[in-house]
Amino acid sequence: MKGNEAIAEAALRAGATNYFCYPITPQSEVAEYLARRMPEVGGVFLQGESELAVSNMLFGAASTGKRVFTTSSSPGISLMQEAISYMAGAELPVVIVNIMRGGPGLGGILPAQSDYNQATKGGGHGDYRVLVLAPSTIQEAVDLMILAFDLADKYRNPVMMIGDGMIGQMMEAVELPERCRESELPSNDEWAATGAKGREPRIIKSLFLDPVGLENNVLILHEKYKRMIREEVRFELYKVSPENRLMIVSYGTMARICQTAIDELEHEGVSVGLFRPVSLFPFPENEIFKEATKKNIRSVLTIEMSTGQMMDDVQKAVMGKKPVKFYGRTGGVVPAPEDVKEQILKVMGPKSSTRRKKSRG
Amino acid sequence: MNISRPPTFAKDIIVIVGGYGSGKSEVAVNLSRHLVVSQSQPVTIADLDIVNPYFRSREAAARLKQLGIRAINPTGGQFYADLPIVLPEIKGAIEYRVGKLILDVGGDDAGARVLSSLADSFVAGSYEMLLVLNASRPFTSDVEGCLKMIREIESSSRLTFTGIIANTHLMEDTTARIVLDGLKLTREVSDRAGVPVVFLSALTEVLATVETSTLEAPVLALERMLLKPWEEKTADPDNEDSRESDA
Repeated sequence: MKGNEAIAEAALRAGATNYFCYPITPQSEVAEYLARRMPEVGGVFLQGESELAVSNMLFGAASTGKRVFTTSSSPGISLMQEAISYMAGAELPVVIVNIMRGGPGLGGILPAQSDYNQATKGGGHGDYRVLVLAPSTIQEAVDLMILAFDLADKYRNPVMMIGDGMIGQMMEAVELPERCRESELPSNDEWAATGAKGREPRIIKSLFLDPVGLENNVLILHEKYKRMIREEVRFELYKVSPENRLMIVSYGTMARICQTAIDELEHEGVSVGLFRPVSLFPFPENEIFKEATKKNIRSVLTIEMSTGQMMDDVQKAVMGKKPVKFYGRTGGVVPAPEDVKEQILKVMGPKSSTRRKKSRG
Repeated sequence: MNISRPPTFAKDIIVIVGGYGSGKSEVAVNLSRHLVVSQSQPVTIADLDIVNPYFRSREAAARLKQLGIRAINPTGGQFYADLPIVLPEIKGAIEYRVGKLILDVGGDDAGARVLSSLADSFVAGSYEMLLVLNASRPFTSDVEGCLKMIREIESSSRLTFTGIIANTHLMEDTTARIVLDGLKLTREVSDRAGVPVVFLSALTEVLATVETSTLEAPVLALERMLLKPWEEKTADPDNEDSRESDA
């Protein structure tokens, strides 16, 4: 399936019944797909008049305890930030997908990873976090989409999945689970606005005029984020071994380009490992520290399709114990494996190339 | 050894349409290459995909140029756009054709709508409009779905199908079974729609596992020309640098 269709179908399989959207390249196929499929499963497909409308529809629908989501791309996600902050404040489970394109502003329509800071550090106002997941294959996009709904319910918090344009547009074979039944979904008896007959009415809001009340709400949220950091760190290692002298940190499809470069260098006798964060918030700080501070690692190279947004988190994780270098392209330019190889060899210095020549005989 | 015949075309204009992700662009660029190699006629390919900005035939432009194929694509910043740009050269190429002209059209009825703006330039009986059918895709996995797509594309394009290309695949997970099951479905669709299966296309390495002599259809062996960045070997001239310089 095409990435955008697979994301749409995965949401249906996860039991999503409400999808609100406003079209934007490169993810409009999600809406096209769901315009056909949502009515087939008895769900709601609604195209709003703008991303502002869509994000506030999410607030309303999420309040009912149904599984709700939207998909958009960078400029559209910017427009949704206010409601995302509101939903975090009101503790509403919602899934948001950002198929990133080059920015800032209207930017372009080709793949980029330049919304890393927006996704992981807020984007909207207030003391809140969004749980962020980043797939590198279409199968992983399916798996993380389903996980995103579970985590949104577990924490009653917005969960964002970010993929660059290629995740949305490319085709790969996928396996999908059966659609889960509503009875299998977590209970929302305790909080959702499902009709107040026979019980006290519930008010779902992010407004707390009493400062102590607001501080209390923020502290409740803060405890949730600490729990996410304890329980939801996800990452993958590729060809990490005691032979490595360099560790790459890269996520999403950029990590796959790094894998091709790593494979080719392996044939040339240069051993490099890859640390791929899957959860971007919580960021696998301790795990990166552990890998980066191993004796054999001389330096860490962060590779992104941005000017180095994730590098700040990598530097923080490594805590100055090893040099952290950066390579990236942005604006929709996707580095080729050859570019990555060149950067790796540059960072590793002349010794790597001596070894490389020797191994070539 | 597998013996199969390659596709041949009496008509000069070949319009390639189909569902999103059916493999239209890959088939179109491979067909262009096949025609330029096998026939002593000039070949032109025009990218008419105005609904989707990724993995279009224009990405193989540098490679096609090397093969001596004329590629009509938007230039400059428009190269990367998904704006409804129909170059006047395309209308010119349809009306005053030289050799073979292949039109690579965008997906579904939405992508085929662009043809309606050119429909008056087409002379009935002078063109082939071929549906690229991938039975592994969600909306063309059964006969009814395929017939619906045929109806929708004919309605939005104001043109009539003349044939079907059996191009069932699951990317790198394609097996001989998948290709043959896809051909079976394509034949059923062909019978119901009343248009022939013009050829079967599949990756060369997959075709090596299929007894092609028994297929009773011409066969086009595909070499992947529209690659994902991590699939590009480092010595490949067809990387983004060549794409940039071409734009």
